[in-house]
Amino acid sequence: MDEPPLLEVQGLGVRVENLTLLDGVTFQVARGSVHLVVGANGAGKSTLLAALLGQVAFTGSVQRHWQKSGKVAYVPQAFAVDSTLPVTALELLALTRQRLPVCFGVRAATRQRSTALLDRVGLTALADRRLSALSGGELRRVLFANAIDPEPELLLLDEPGAGMDADSLRHLDQEILDLRARAGTTVVMVSHDAEQARRLGDAVTLLERGRARTGPPAEMLAARGASGAAAS
Amino acid sequence: MDALYAWLAELAKRGSLPKVFEYPFITRGILAVLLIAPLLGGISHLVVARRMAFFSTALGQAALTGLTVGLVLGEPISAPYGGIGGFCLLSGVAMVWVKRRSRLPPDTLIGVFLALTLGLGICLLVAATRRFNIHQIESVMFGSLLTVTDLDLLLLLVGVVVWVVLARFYNALLLDSLHRPLARVAGVDDTLLEYLFVVLLTCAIVVSLKVIGALLVEALVVVPAAAGRNLARSTRGYLAWSVTAALISGVAGMFVSTLWSVPTGGAVVLCLAALFFVTVAVGAATGRGASTER
Repeated sequence: MDEPPLLEVQGLGVRVENLTLLDGVTFQVARGSVHLVVGANGAGKSTLLAALLGQVAFTGSVQRHWQKSGKVAYVPQAFAVDSTLPVTALELLALTRQRLPVCFGVRAATRQRSTALLDRVGLTALADRRLSALSGGELRRVLFANAIDPEPELLLLDEPGAGMDADSLRHLDQEILDLRARAGTTVVMVSHDAEQARRLGDAVTLLERGRARTGPPAEMLAARGASGAAAS
Repeated sequence: MDALYAWLAELAKRGSLPKVFEYPFITRGILAVLLIAPLLGGISHLVVARRMAFFSTALGQAALTGLTVGLVLGEPISAPYGGIGGFCLLSGVAMVWVKRRSRLPPDTLIGVFLALTLGLGICLLVAATRRFNIHQIESVMFGSLLTVTDLDLLLLLVGVVVWVVLARFYNALLLDSLHRPLARVAGVDDTLLEYLFVVLLTCAIVVSLKVIGALLVEALVVVPAAAGRNLARSTRGYLAWSVTAALISGVAGMFVSTLWSVPTGGAVVLCLAALFFVTVAVGAATGRGASTER
């Protein structure tokens, strides 16, 4: 018997005031797959992730078929840091990894664990740097490090590669593939990068004007290209 | 407590302590400041991190209205905690409740509540002054060492409870301040936290009123953190500098108040403001705190 998908989205709709952001979105995310969500700006990609996280009101249904921890992790697209708030990268990671209030210090065990995470994203040297002093790409790597420990069953990434240089992007791709291989994590990722979608994607959901189509990466990216060309 | 005051007075007479300790009201004031500074200085860095400075101003104004409500309802002016605590709590919870359901910006909503509580307070103040001398009410509005009683000191021990609860939820509160969706994914109940923080902030403000005053207490839940940010390079440093700023200005303000017979709240806030500008200069000179490192 076939394994059920990790996520089953049926007729999902999101309306804000009188505006329809998503309408009748239906797709499945296979267990252990890397599922890309693509579409033009304003197509509703981030709204879809917010609905999958249960953070916006929606119609329709989202069913999750957990087989492991049921842990969900998330890397947001925007992380606006108050530039005067003196929270360091290490302290951000410690917030969910120790009970001792971070304002009283970071425990040695937490420091070790968090430093190892930063090492995996190549940011060990920036552990004690304030979040506001990190570049956009560095901040996303810190958030990715935060998301992969403990290993989640479902990882939602909202344009994690934005602002990263080519080396960092390759490193991120490898970390995603390693995580899937090691922990069987299912990944749903919003991306604007067609190349990244081809490299990583097992399936792609294309959002256009709030509606969705799902298929193999090559087919969906071609459809996106065609609709983009038609629009222009 | 009398034994403690007598012992300290004896030490002061022998020259082991400054002369001012011969007066019990000074000793009470020092004890009050030593309890208030870590409480308000500590909570201030979360107030600023959660962008609740204006909210705190509205709570301070609500305290004034609460005072008049309590007095009109027959509370003694020496311990008007029922009216102040009840009205502040009601206002704080109502502001959060409306904010979570409205699309209006939080500062606009807080402005509405500020106007409402101030209008009510001024109307009731007229009724309250029929029963009490306006100078008695002023001491609660501006803070006074003379009116601090042993009961007020005992109430300040509520601050210990506030600290314990804050410590228990600190990491969740800070994560929620940084990025609410990320906090929710981490299992943080942001609704519970928002109401809990308002209750804790209200408790901290109410128990500090007699010393600092209703109109000035909000300064102590904002300025220590602002000073701390100018110097801090980490969350730990942020807390330490905020508490230190509150302690230094609290003790200095109390002595200024005693020496020059000015309201304690005003003196403490002036010392705090002076300290803030010192930290601006030190921060700029040393490249610490709010200046961006890269």
